[in-house]
Amino acid sequence: MSSTLLPEERALDAHVRTNSSKSKRYGFFPGCVAKESCKELFNSTMLLADKLGIELVELTAASCCGASVLNDTNRDVARVLNARTYAQAEALGLDDVITICSTCTGHMRAANKELRESEERMAQANAILGKFGANDKGSVTVRHLLWWLIDDIGLDTLRSMVVRPLNGLKVAPFYGCHIIRPESVNGWESARHPHSLEDVIVALGGEAVDYAGKTRCCGFHVQLEKENIAASMVGQNMRMAKDNGAEAVITPCPLCHLALDGYQADAAARWGRTDLPVFHLPQLVAYALGVPAEKLGLKKHLIDPRDVMVSRDLIN
Amino acid sequence: MAKIKLDIFRFDEATDTIPHRDKVTVDLPETTTVLDALEYAKAEVDGSISFRRSCRSAICGSCSMSIGGVTSLACKTSCGSAMEEDGSVKIDPMPNFQPMKDLVVHMDPFWDKYARLKPYLQPNDADSAHPTERRVSPDDMKKLVDVANCIMCATCYSLCPVVSVDPAFAGPAAIAYAYRFIEDVRDGQRKERIAQISEDYLWLCAHCYACSYCPKHVDPNDRIIDVKRAAITDRVMMNERGPRHALVVAKTIKQTGMLAETEVIQGTVGRFNIRGLLKVAPLGARMALKGKLPPPFLKPVPKIDEIRTIFDALEAPVR
Repeated sequence: MSSTLLPEERALDAHVRTNSSKSKRYGFFPGCVAKESCKELFNSTMLLADKLGIELVELTAASCCGASVLNDTNRDVARVLNARTYAQAEALGLDDVITICSTCTGHMRAANKELRESEERMAQANAILGKFGANDKGSVTVRHLLWWLIDDIGLDTLRSMVVRPLNGLKVAPFYGCHIIRPESVNGWESARHPHSLEDVIVALGGEAVDYAGKTRCCGFHVQLEKENIAASMVGQNMRMAKDNGAEAVITPCPLCHLALDGYQADAAARWGRTDLPVFHLPQLVAYALGVPAEKLGLKKHLIDPRDVMVSRDLIN
Repeated sequence: MAKIKLDIFRFDEATDTIPHRDKVTVDLPETTTVLDALEYAKAEVDGSISFRRSCRSAICGSCSMSIGGVTSLACKTSCGSAMEEDGSVKIDPMPNFQPMKDLVVHMDPFWDKYARLKPYLQPNDADSAHPTERRVSPDDMKKLVDVANCIMCATCYSLCPVVSVDPAFAGPAAIAYAYRFIEDVRDGQRKERIAQISEDYLWLCAHCYACSYCPKHVDPNDRIIDVKRAAITDRVMMNERGPRHALVVAKTIKQTGMLAETEVIQGTVGRFNIRGLLKVAPLGARMALKGKLPPPFLKPVPKIDEIRTIFDALEAPVR
């Protein structure tokens, strides 16, 4: 049994998931949430990829990255699951893997780092992968779409591709912990003072709102442990954003989106009403690049972003 | 030499009701540590500026303060690294603490969390009954060395977003210190210690890695995960939501390859915990109205057997 996708599966993949006429191909790891409660993130990513003329080949047989929770039960299992995902990407010739979730980014990179830094761990992983004929050669790089946009497209090119600028919409960046911390794992930019999201907001014609909450935690991982605490973490951050003039929030992480979009209402009692709509990164980029707003799943948000878009003459 | 504008939080709980800020300009190289710049300002400009310090070399843990919005040791942070475009360096007392005077804060809640741990060795037998010294192998000691480097500067505690909204949470430093005794082969209170730290909200850690900013690389974030794993291995307080959550996540990944959101919510809250499920129901209803509910069941990803092989090979626990 081989871990690579069979030719017919690959054909199916290319047929269902991608447009094979595109020039550049990337491995695509959407993560669980973009396939479950945030399908609008998955769809707007695909629409953005179309617009940018790249081919995203979804790693359909991949597993969950471990979502930071799997480490609580076993020290090795998340690492080996990710090694399996890398083996699949390598077998498809897709060493460059793009993610659309801060948590996937952080935990896939952490696994990758652990594997590459220790022959012992790599051997442990490959001994298990070998049971089904797979092998991780350690050649895969994992990048978030945000980093890829800046590294491979470039801010100047992005700015020149904007056909519908954001008309000065005041957007608060919300990074999501696992795309910046730990710095030893991510390290693409400063964890203490990142500015990639701000740069993208400005390139799209918006105004970036600075506030202390932008690098803080959304509380997602304690929602089921103590809901009022999770809601309060949302409220605290959104209060800061709102007080500094934000009209909307943008995040590269669907977990943050679920927390911020879902819990502002519950946090109102302690932090006051904030009602800030929370865009997924590819939604706002795709909009500015000309993808029709009605295709971006905006009406799926609990706090409807269309009202603020109307107020800025972005949509009718 | 450069003009460094120290932008300092000023407050005296004995006389002030609200804080104000003072800007003190000092002519020093940008490589000057924030602590040296503060010492200079205190000696040459305003003797009333208050801050804690002692060793000046990142060993005593006294001079932690918020520098440019992030808690750091003033003796280990250069002015240049925290300087804003206009040449100012913003200095505040540590967040998550009550300010006492200027940059000095009330540390009591932080020490209280330590005291609850009984932070001393509790072997099963009395020292007098023990014929030799209590020996530890180098391998067993290796696990404890990093945590032993903790200087109790409270950087992690002040950056912890959970502490900021729920002061009952033990905080990263105390959990890391609990690990130091839980994993000490000489200690006889492993289960009791795990239970104690679980009651102090071990499982309320938000996985945010803010404590990865530890100036001594103790990395409480990793030790918190170690303590949770110890709780599951030793089966301590397994009916609480934290361990249930971790194990049901593992179970759904083993079954489907994916983290199945619907089952994880039910499995964590409890399928028959009607009151608990009703509490999450309003959000569920709002999401349902928007067509945003996760699917109730997931089809396993292709080659799911490979994923199950990995779980089995590692004997990874699932619920």
